[in-house]
Amino acid sequence: MIVKKGSFVIEGLENVQINIGKIGEGLEEKIEGPTPRPEIISLRNWDYRILDRYAPVYTPTSDMCDYCTYGKCDLTGNKEGACGIDLEGQSARQALMTSIMGAACHTAHGRHLLHYLIKKYGEDRLIDVGPSNLKAPLTETIMGIQPQTIGDFLPVLDYIEEQLTQLIAAANTGQEGSARDFESKAFHAGMLDLLGMEVADIIQISCMGLPKSDEKTPMAEIGMGILDSKKPVVICVGHNIAAPAYILDYMDKGGLFDKIEIAGLCCTAHDMTRYSKSAKIIGSMSKELKYIRSGIPDVLVTDEQCVRADILREAKKLHIPVIATNEKITYGLPDRSNDSIDTIIDDLASGKNEGALLLDLEKVGELVPRLAVKMAEIRKAKGITALPDQEDFRKLVAKCTKCLQCTRDCPQSLPISDAMAAAVNGDLAPFEILHDKCVGCGRCDYSCPVGIPVLNVIEKASQQVIREEKGKMRIGRGQIGDPEIREEGRNLVLGTTPGVLAFVGCGNYPDGTKDVYDVVEEMIQRSYIIITSGCAAMDVGMYKDKEGKTLYERYPGRFIKGNLLNTGSCVSNAHIAATTIKVASIFAGRKTKGNWEEIADYVLNRIGAVGIAWGAYSQKAFAIATGCNRLGIPVVAGPHGTKYRRAFIGKPYRKEDWNVLDGRDGSVINVEPAPEHLMITAETKDELMPLLAKLCFRPSDNSLGRAIKLTHYIELSEKYLKKMPDDWHVYVRNEADLPVAKREQLLKLLEEKGWKIDWEKKKITEGPLRKVDVSFQPTNVPRLCKEVKK
Amino acid sequence: MTKKEHVKPLDKTGTKTVEKPVAKPQEKPEAIDTTRQAVPFDTGNIPGPKMARAVMPAVQGKMLAKAKRPLLIVGSQIHEEDVLSRVVAMGQTGLQIAAVGNAYKSLGDKGLDVHYANMHALASYLCDPEWQGLDGKGGYDLVAFFGITYYYASQAISALKNFSKIRVISIDKYYHPNADMSFGNLKKDVFIAALDEVIKELPKR
Repeated sequence: MIVKKGSFVIEGLENVQINIGKIGEGLEEKIEGPTPRPEIISLRNWDYRILDRYAPVYTPTSDMCDYCTYGKCDLTGNKEGACGIDLEGQSARQALMTSIMGAACHTAHGRHLLHYLIKKYGEDRLIDVGPSNLKAPLTETIMGIQPQTIGDFLPVLDYIEEQLTQLIAAANTGQEGSARDFESKAFHAGMLDLLGMEVADIIQISCMGLPKSDEKTPMAEIGMGILDSKKPVVICVGHNIAAPAYILDYMDKGGLFDKIEIAGLCCTAHDMTRYSKSAKIIGSMSKELKYIRSGIPDVLVTDEQCVRADILREAKKLHIPVIATNEKITYGLPDRSNDSIDTIIDDLASGKNEGALLLDLEKVGELVPRLAVKMAEIRKAKGITALPDQEDFRKLVAKCTKCLQCTRDCPQSLPISDAMAAAVNGDLAPFEILHDKCVGCGRCDYSCPVGIPVLNVIEKASQQVIREEKGKMRIGRGQIGDPEIREEGRNLVLGTTPGVLAFVGCGNYPDGTKDVYDVVEEMIQRSYIIITSGCAAMDVGMYKDKEGKTLYERYPGRFIKGNLLNTGSCVSNAHIAATTIKVASIFAGRKTKGNWEEIADYVLNRIGAVGIAWGAYSQKAFAIATGCNRLGIPVVAGPHGTKYRRAFIGKPYRKEDWNVLDGRDGSVINVEPAPEHLMITAETKDELMPLLAKLCFRPSDNSLGRAIKLTHYIELSEKYLKKMPDDWHVYVRNEADLPVAKREQLLKLLEEKGWKIDWEKKKITEGPLRKVDVSFQPTNVPRLCKEVKK
Repeated sequence: MTKKEHVKPLDKTGTKTVEKPVAKPQEKPEAIDTTRQAVPFDTGNIPGPKMARAVMPAVQGKMLAKAKRPLLIVGSQIHEEDVLSRVVAMGQTGLQIAAVGNAYKSLGDKGLDVHYANMHALASYLCDPEWQGLDGKGGYDLVAFFGITYYYASQAISALKNFSKIRVISIDKYYHPNADMSFGNLKKDVFIAALDEVIKELPKR
């Protein structure tokens, strides 16, 4: 029975009314670990264990500190500034601040949604995420409670917000000064970020009818070429489904889906398709400016996160009204929340206002489709065209002086002037290649000394490929259900499924979106479980094989080897991290509630899961990565990831860093570097693939699992780097660890390295770092050992 | 006459690479100047008050030649033949090479002292005075680099600039502010010629 909040009158008892306010019974009774609701130093010992092995590597973007009025201070060469902080400390402080920003974004998103959903459905609305007993793994592990209703998340958000305030305070000048403790606090912020995301996604799944651990969600259309631009077009930009849901409801009730096109940009698009089968996806943030400049949208609706700061200026040029629906992004627009819909539409259609802040979401729902219909007529009548015509295009490309200023300002250093030169000769192919690699930032426009609108030129030249840009993406499924974990958990822990690779994050790719597709295709064919979310999930669906099928159409979406899962939007990243908790709990029976350290220790030593944020650009992505790192999950970023200024890189040559304890008796075992790094970058996809295979090694692998992982590591290195990995032998514990097909050849190589081989028995008799022990219980936490060896 | 015309194709040993111009009477050959355009190639990449000194190739070459334990780091942008041949030429002088990114795939079969490394990890190891190098024979006192994605190299060497004592010289096509010494931003032909000038200074095997 669920006891509900409210007032009750008991029959027969006159003038007696029972008021039930906050219901908290049972929530505190099930705590199983030592750190429910951890404070900012509660998990410091665990953080130190991580930092001892994976020392932070700082790559400052600036050698200066200008946080306070003592400065600017020059910290070059790790000098101290006026307040006493050195460059190492300042870099770590920036890591903390970046993590806080990301965590705050997701948590504020969750807070906004929870406020809205409680208002609509009440606090007692039951959580329903699909076939799971472990409904909120991160909440249980961090908070020590098992939430039943959406109201149970209120204290969770209170906790996160309180902790974030403490963390922000630590970053003030004259507070924390130790790089190591800044990093511990950054871990804390990252963990809070995971928690905030989980709250946000669970409540929207529970209340809004989003898929619940559904492995067979339908496909959504995706791409810049999917919309019928002859119809009125509504484009929603950002991450928060609240406002778009009202628009979709209004359109559904009015039967408007045949008359108006509605699609999303960035993660709002994910959640729109999870909410309504009629919604479509334009793409990632990289498409934002490009799509606005296409002139196709008739109305832009913004909510929060990943919305370009210049969206109003850009929209104004093309007479596209902007409806801002969230307090965090208001652009100086007049608050029209209390005005009539007709008046607002008139003001926007006439051009009196370029946009409106509208926080009454019901009004948003009605206004936006009506406004789109009206604006489509007006804009058509005005003949608004965004991109240059053929003649203008010809003149513009001819103006290029090849000064390379655009290339110097371009985040990807794209060879724009070469494409201009080719276009002068009628060859548009180089521009079409640039279109895929361009992240759509528009910095080139500002840099051109002769005033070429470079982005428009790229897009004009690429019209043919843009028209054909039509993909498919399996709609976000939400969590991985308990039954799937039961089926696959053993394979993951023993290594017979070579690993879980989670492709997450944004579109700031070093060499175009196709790289993500290529890497996913290679790894899924090797039976890795591929999980996607956010913009990476979209980009995976943008390319097709020779038969015209996307990867989502080729590979099913169950949590088993060789499958491709999309969890959903940015906040659905929580489910990816939470999957490791589920494995620890469901497969291994580890207690979760208030037991972060033990769970993270299990994940680090036993679950071959790796996150890949190949195009990460935002603070949110950094926070997610940092949270995953605290949970024992390694993350690889693309080369731009070095601009986050901090990584966690292991030193395989320092043998003492790779000691773990055997949980059976506390004995110290020197193990192979597995996983070798917690946060690192790679320069190219060629380098990325063998690195991913390597980061899936875990000390707990059994021989069959190790042989499978070793096979992929060696093959990927040979295929993409044309070499046998230098360190492959480090991961060999006995002959059974060797891939069967290459066993003899590898034994010979080991012999050349000085290992002793019994060729008659084809056995290794001397050489490995350690032996295989199927009962080995690797742990980094002494208290988890049954008997500590003295 | 353009500067490119000074460059002639490599011979098989890769050692002789720059042809002195056939000087007309009373006309001096046009010298390569690698100190121009010494501004960060990515316009926003201004780290602080200490930025690389722009120098001529001979200076870089002499630094490399004099180093006790130098390391050349090259990355994913060395696959074109004109650049690759210069990497090979440098490697053939006995210079140890760290092939980062996917550079190894063009270098592994050239008989050089070349080792794959991840650039980010390499930067970390180079900051560790205890690290014994890619071959286990000791740490490095100088690293030179080129042909790595610009911003990636710049970030990685910012670690060396601020947290190590190793001398860092950029012999890249672009000005790298975080190095101790660097070329300015060069056109391709000048860059190739500059590499040849560096090679000339290296000890012959």
